[in-house]
Amino acid sequence: MIPIALYLAVSAIIFSIGLYGLMTQRSGIRILMCVELMLNAANLNLVAFSSYHHDLTGQVFALFSIALAACEAAIGFAILMALYRLKDTISLDHINILRW
Amino acid sequence: MAVGDLAFLIPVLPALAFVLTFFFGKKLPTGGAIIPIAAIATSFVISLLITLNLLANPEEVVSQSYSWFAMLNIGILVDPLAAVMLTMVTFVSLLIHIYSTGYMSHDKAPSRYFAETALFTASMLGLILSDNILQLFVCWELVGVCSYLLIGFWFEKPSAATAAKKAFLTTRIGDVMFLTGIIVLFSDLFKIFNGNVPDGVYILRFDEIFAHIPDLAAMNANILGMEVSHITLITLLFFGGAVGKSGQFPLHVWLPDAMEGPTTVSALIHAATMVTAGVYLVARTFPMFIAAPDSLMVVAYVGAFTALFAGTMGIVMNDLKRVLAYSTISQLGYMMLGLGVGAAVGSEAVGIALFHLINHAFFKALLFLCAGSVIHAVGTHDMRQLGGVAKVMPVTAVTMIVASLALTGIGIPGTSIGTSGFFSKDAIIESAYLMGETTGSWIPYILAIAAALLTSIYIFRLVFMTFYGKPRTDYGGHESPASMTIPLSILALLALVFGGLTSKIFNTFVSETFVNNFVNMNIHELATLGGYHLAEHAGEEPMLVLWLPLIMALAGLVITFLIYGLRIVNMDSLVSRNNPIYKLLYNRYYQNAIFTNFISVKVIYEGFAFAGRAVDRGFDWTVKWFSDLAIESGESLRQFQTGAVQNYATAVITGVSLLVILIKVVMEVLQ
Repeated sequence: MIPIALYLAVSAIIFSIGLYGLMTQRSGIRILMCVELMLNAANLNLVAFSSYHHDLTGQVFALFSIALAACEAAIGFAILMALYRLKDTISLDHINILRW
Repeated sequence: MAVGDLAFLIPVLPALAFVLTFFFGKKLPTGGAIIPIAAIATSFVISLLITLNLLANPEEVVSQSYSWFAMLNIGILVDPLAAVMLTMVTFVSLLIHIYSTGYMSHDKAPSRYFAETALFTASMLGLILSDNILQLFVCWELVGVCSYLLIGFWFEKPSAATAAKKAFLTTRIGDVMFLTGIIVLFSDLFKIFNGNVPDGVYILRFDEIFAHIPDLAAMNANILGMEVSHITLITLLFFGGAVGKSGQFPLHVWLPDAMEGPTTVSALIHAATMVTAGVYLVARTFPMFIAAPDSLMVVAYVGAFTALFAGTMGIVMNDLKRVLAYSTISQLGYMMLGLGVGAAVGSEAVGIALFHLINHAFFKALLFLCAGSVIHAVGTHDMRQLGGVAKVMPVTAVTMIVASLALTGIGIPGTSIGTSGFFSKDAIIESAYLMGETTGSWIPYILAIAAALLTSIYIFRLVFMTFYGKPRTDYGGHESPASMTIPLSILALLALVFGGLTSKIFNTFVSETFVNNFVNMNIHELATLGGYHLAEHAGEEPMLVLWLPLIMALAGLVITFLIYGLRIVNMDSLVSRNNPIYKLLYNRYYQNAIFTNFISVKVIYEGFAFAGRAVDRGFDWTVKWFSDLAIESGESLRQFQTGAVQNYATAVITGVSLLVILIKVVMEVLQ
């Protein structure tokens, strides 16, 4: 059996990749993808602990989380589509009307 | 009931007339002139009766005091000095009011004029009647205000408004000195009483002040390294007030400009009455001056210098009234000199100066009224446009010539024949000679003699240029109405004979003031306090001294006759802007340039403007610094709001991470 620490390590790596992408990327699509990565890292944790404790509640929670992530992605992409129509770009550098 | 009990009515009646004329004058014919005329006539009768009573019974001095508050009082004092002044002021004021009904008949606002002159007369009479120095100061300021109002009577004329302001501000310099003197005097007297002034003792009453002269003389102040007794200090400050009011050098600059007012105002205020208030002040406080010989010397020198200085400017002026204004300054200088010679002749000086004051009031009011008559008929002040006025205005011309003779002092020395100016002015010049003889200061005498020559030149130049020869322009005048010529004739009569009739009794009468009545003091003892002795009257001056003033007067007449009458001597080269001396005199020694344009406008006005700007800038800078601080810090702080989501995310993550670390650390520590 694979020890839980490896799951957690993979999860942490994926989360960090997502976090790094969130902070550095300019494109809206990539940022959404990074958010997905971070969510999935969290899902991985949930499933890993669920399996570790032999408790299905964690896996149920992960399913909810995936459903929510799908909704989030749908809304996020819809916003980006609207932005693209408005501004001809989805680079977040140019979408900064709330700046100083 | 003694006539002295009515003395309080003398200033109160004109004050009442002021109120009535001010409110109801517009509805009455001739601007309600009848009200002040009636009031002042009554005051004149009361004054005359009091004076006659005093002449008969010199000990019946009117003195009434009422407590005002604390140790101050209000009261009236009619001693010989005040009595002659009261009679003169009410009489001249009465004649000028009558004359004004004719002179102001074409004016827009005669009721305002008569109200203001009535107020002036009331204040002037109040000033003379005061029995304490504070009340005198209050009235002193009141006459100053009236002078301001009346100089600026035609205030829609910018020059008149400016002249009024100038007069008010210039005399203010003197008034501040006067007030300082009163304050010093009050604090000294308070110290002398050790702060315990008994009930019923009013420390600013003149008799109370005079009683403490020895104590004041004992107090010393150190000013600029010089030991000065307080009595010298106080008297000099009082004299400073007199310099402002009586137009002595260097504060005389307002008086010629004051001629912007109606000519009757010039006659009443700036010739006969108000400007003599300074002389009256010095005469009133004369015992203090006697104890301060240095102050008396200053009075004598300033007076003599002013007499000559104003005379030099009088000979080049082309404006009828300005010549007379400089003449007034010059004659006031003579009066001050007359008081200043008290250092040699004692209390007689008051008699001499007052005698000249009264005579001067008559003939100078007459000169001004004659000038007013000419101006009224002809409509110009400029002598260069006149000439030959005697043909159309014979009464005015004759009275003017009489006044000129009185001013120059034509008479035969050693007899009682002469115009009134002859008796008083020559008395002053002879006293100045006496002072030179006893104290060795000959300068006042020399200045006074030179001024006598100038007096004669400027006044006869005026007479020749105005009344003699052919008309230089087409002015078309007519003789003035009877309301104007009758006062002229009465004044002319007085200018001619008053001096001769009263010269014997006047001096003893006024000198009584300080010697026997009311004050009861020994002038010689006071002089000893000042550290000197009065000369016993030397009696006989050399013949030349007696005749010299007359010779000077006649020389002036001859010179002007040659130049302006016969036109034998050609003055064109001298009277031109190229002649530096003429230019200097014509520009009035550049006083206007120095006092008004330089000191007032450049130094004071621009100085204040500069200081104001500097303060403004200081405030502006401070306020702006705070606003800049807020703006700039906001400007730099708002850079945090980049609008880029990544940055917000980074900040959130950083914050959360730090929070986690912090919690971890805190937990570690707590465990």
